[in-house]
Amino acid sequence: MTEIQVINEPNTKEQIFSNLNPIVSNWFKLKFKEFVESQKYCLVPIKNRENILLSSPTGSGKTLSAFASILSYLIDLHEKGNLENRTYAVYCSPLKALSRDIEVNLKKPLEEMEKMVNKKFGIRIGLRTGDTTTLERTKMLKNPPHILITTPESLAIILTSKNFVEHLRKTEFCIVDEIHSLDNKRGTYLSLTLERLNEISTIWPVKIGLSATIEPMEEVAKFLVGVSPERKVKIAKVILDKKIDVEVLSPVDNIMEDQDLHLKMYDLISDLIQEHKTTLIFTNTRSATERVVNFLKDRFPTEYGDDNIAAHHSSLSKNHRFDIEERLRQGKLKVVVCSTSLELGIDIGFIDLVIMLGSPKSSSRALQRLGRAGHRLREISKGRFIVLDRDDLIECCIIKKEMIEKKINKIRFPKNCLDVLSQQIYGMAIYKIWKEKEILDLIKRSYCYADLTRKDFLDTISYLSGEYALEKNNVYAKIWYDPETKEIGKRGKLARVIYMTNIGTIPEESFITVKIAGTNEVVGLIDEGFLSRMRKLDVFVLGGKKYQHKYTRGMNLYVSSEVRRNPTIPSWFSEMLPLSFDSALEISKFRYLIRKELESKRPKKKILEFIKNYLKVPEKTAEAIYNYFLEQHSFLEIPHEKLIVIEKFSDLGKKYLLFHTLYGRRVNDALSRAIGYIIGALGGRDIEIGISDNGFYLAGERMMLKRTLEELKEKNLEKFLKEAIDRTDVLARRFRHCAARSLMILKNYKGKNKSVGKQQMKSHFLLSAVKKITNEFPILREARREVLEDVMDIKNAKLVLSWIEKKKVKIKILETDIPSPFSLGLILQGHTDLIRIEDKQEFLKRMHELHIKKIIENK
Amino acid sequence: MDKENKNLIKYEFLDRSIFFPDKGVLVLGDIHIGYEQALIDAGVLIPNRQVKDIISDLKKIIKKIKDSKYNLKEIIFLGDIKHLFSYAWKEKDNLDKIVEFLEEYIPQEKIIFIRGNHDTTEIHSKIKLRDFYIHGEIAFLHGHKSFLEIFDKKIKVIITGHLHPSVILTEVPGVKIESYKCFLEGSYKNKTFIVLPSFIKFVEGTAINDYEEMYLESFSIIPKREIMNFKVYILGEERIYEFGKVKDFN
Repeated sequence: MTEIQVINEPNTKEQIFSNLNPIVSNWFKLKFKEFVESQKYCLVPIKNRENILLSSPTGSGKTLSAFASILSYLIDLHEKGNLENRTYAVYCSPLKALSRDIEVNLKKPLEEMEKMVNKKFGIRIGLRTGDTTTLERTKMLKNPPHILITTPESLAIILTSKNFVEHLRKTEFCIVDEIHSLDNKRGTYLSLTLERLNEISTIWPVKIGLSATIEPMEEVAKFLVGVSPERKVKIAKVILDKKIDVEVLSPVDNIMEDQDLHLKMYDLISDLIQEHKTTLIFTNTRSATERVVNFLKDRFPTEYGDDNIAAHHSSLSKNHRFDIEERLRQGKLKVVVCSTSLELGIDIGFIDLVIMLGSPKSSSRALQRLGRAGHRLREISKGRFIVLDRDDLIECCIIKKEMIEKKINKIRFPKNCLDVLSQQIYGMAIYKIWKEKEILDLIKRSYCYADLTRKDFLDTISYLSGEYALEKNNVYAKIWYDPETKEIGKRGKLARVIYMTNIGTIPEESFITVKIAGTNEVVGLIDEGFLSRMRKLDVFVLGGKKYQHKYTRGMNLYVSSEVRRNPTIPSWFSEMLPLSFDSALEISKFRYLIRKELESKRPKKKILEFIKNYLKVPEKTAEAIYNYFLEQHSFLEIPHEKLIVIEKFSDLGKKYLLFHTLYGRRVNDALSRAIGYIIGALGGRDIEIGISDNGFYLAGERMMLKRTLEELKEKNLEKFLKEAIDRTDVLARRFRHCAARSLMILKNYKGKNKSVGKQQMKSHFLLSAVKKITNEFPILREARREVLEDVMDIKNAKLVLSWIEKKKVKIKILETDIPSPFSLGLILQGHTDLIRIEDKQEFLKRMHELHIKKIIENK
Repeated sequence: MDKENKNLIKYEFLDRSIFFPDKGVLVLGDIHIGYEQALIDAGVLIPNRQVKDIISDLKKIIKKIKDSKYNLKEIIFLGDIKHLFSYAWKEKDNLDKIVEFLEEYIPQEKIIFIRGNHDTTEIHSKIKLRDFYIHGEIAFLHGHKSFLEIFDKKIKVIITGHLHPSVILTEVPGVKIESYKCFLEGSYKNKTFIVLPSFIKFVEGTAINDYEEMYLESFSIIPKREIMNFKVYILGEERIYEFGKVKDFN
């Protein structure tokens, strides 16, 4: 296994200077009074060619920490006349815009050093991304950059180019930036790309990982260097010494009773903006982003106009986003409202206040957002949470507590993804012919594939070599595999073009524009998947308003805004951030403590004192929280970390089971579907489900709860879940993403770019075709894994079940007449999905009977 | 399901097709050969099984006819034989396979192909495309274009394809939605019209639930006012369900 060592002692100034080229030393002395913390940890180990993972808060001079020793080395080489025509260092960042940023921040110090000694070093820095032109690429081939700035995708493409690879044969350093943002398939993908780089380079590229504050460091370190006994990595954790100033605010004193909550929220936001120079607002969703901007402009027309307020989110065009970022840097904007898009590290200039509307759902995310304020090291980061309901209030208070106590949520990289593996094997086969053992050994050195089974590997090879097609025209065949020689190679003349134009792991989504019928006024965007769930006359919520579906034309949905009916369609949750498991447990623990306080019958004043101390909140907030808990306590029982409460009640002939399982939406997604599936199967009918971070409910006619709870165990959860998700939209949708990643659906093919909409429409043919071949098709298996492990959190759901089995967590079933205070939010939110038990033919038969009955009644 | 219209012409819905037992005529809706190939060309790399599926479905239908002791004398394809407007060589190849299969049961001249709006070019040297076909008092045509002859006095029943009718049934809005192929039957200009669902299996078709907003009169020979009164027969796996009129779904 990889050897990990934590650095406890930073190097002294003298130690560092003695390890740097004098020019670099002098430049440092001229520019800064002293080294920042991250530089004290990094510079010497990098000089000594040791792999290192650095985690530190944003704005702490990380970039220079990674590059200083490399620049020093390259200047040494230049002075000795040994600087060769090849690439020495590869810098890889998941952000395209950041690559540009780094180029500026790296070129500038270099130029200043050159000016200091009045000569040119001839060190070339080159940028290679998806936007790099063919001409620039050709130039780069002739004169390779000494430091190559690139993205994970472009690096993978470079590694299939026979000519450019020659320049990478002696790569000495490889920097991976923003590792904390790679806990998704891009990260899985990069882990294999890094192994490909290791393989083509004759010397070990020293790995330098840069990250915001992150946990668990050991796993991230292994991700960076891979898994192999001879590999060693150091960990440097720079503690957040930055001052933070965070508070949770409610727009009104009594959230439950104030009718003007929304108006007062905008007043509060505007007051905060006016008290500060530049404000950044996070809203969590794209639609909320537009809504907040429009509302502020409408309500305060003299304060806000297009010149000083802007929305920033991922569905805006690239140019539009760059323009906003640039105006922000120049200090021209007073306020920018974004979904989550400005969380990552591109420099956005001076921000003195960060507002978070609604819970950021995890302490790491909250810290990341807060870090955007007072970006420079010694400034105070100022953040304000604004909450709109009591669950949100408690959640934000707990997250604030975690931030102050520096509790960081753990991240996890997706492992053994067969779609990513397919794409990478294809890329490797384009580069050369491989022996089976050689390619498998390489793959298994990647942290994300260390425990890949041989079967999964061989199935992926079978898919790529067209064995599943069962047809003479092997439409799948991308590689050939010779079982005699055990060799693998690419197939087809178009291989490189297909690979280059279809590479990547980020699924493309397309959006439907929602317009008011008649006036054509645009009210927002919805996901295409959402539209497919809707029928004419359905009422849905978009940006806090109700609309009724009238008709669709192409990529537009025409609606009416004059609706009195309640929504008939559950809201679309795909954009919604899930509450992290760690934060959820912290809230459960808080519930336990308050319950004990209430049971102790201590006077209210003492309990308020406790809440104020525990959460570091003012009297008013403590009072609101106290009242909420007291209501629940007097009405029913307070569920907590050691107790799951299930409420049973009936409404309009439907039976409801409401589970207070505060484990976050991802765990609840898994638990609710497994339980719902078993209940549905026992009763023979569909079950309606509603899921939130705090719990879930099931509704139906026959509900055999006790038997279900006996049936569901940690060891059979996976089996039930696989059956439960088989006919869901989420599986179909994720399958489309996986099919695109594994190049079964090509967005670019024969020189044509296909619209996502068309692909989406057609992908369900693909799913049914694949199921016909075998239910164990590797890419379908991957889609199931993705739903269970990445969309849901089966790992922690199993953990919860094991607690129940070990009686660490007890279950109490209670009958109620109406839902308890804690469950109101969940009930109001409505249903999320339906567990389909009844099949299509039975449904038709039943609908026909209803239809006949109606006809007879009408007569 | 045996049906008799007021003109006493017996017919039977057989899976996605219609069979006239007294005449021994089997009618099939749009088959769109090359649909899967078009998907593959569009970068959706599915295994091409379309022709295999068509043949295996035809086999089942023919077996049902034989089991009922009827004679199969003629097969009519209602147009849109191929999917792409342009000519692709693979479609010819695939069409050959289907014709070869059918020739085991009936002579080639008894396989009738009607021209659909997708069949802009001649599709096969051996196959004659007709604008319409008349068998006694029944007229067969695709349905995008009208012909004087089909409204002749002696014609009582008109069979078309083209519209790919399907029905969406919803119970829990936004969640429980299923789509089914259907037949439409009604009267227009004193003739009985029957619209067949598409024979191509993959696509359910165009929802009649949207006819109020989406029905294009220029696209069909049946006016909207009339088709809204057509009866709907939903195709289940076991049987056909009668489900009221098109307007009831709008």
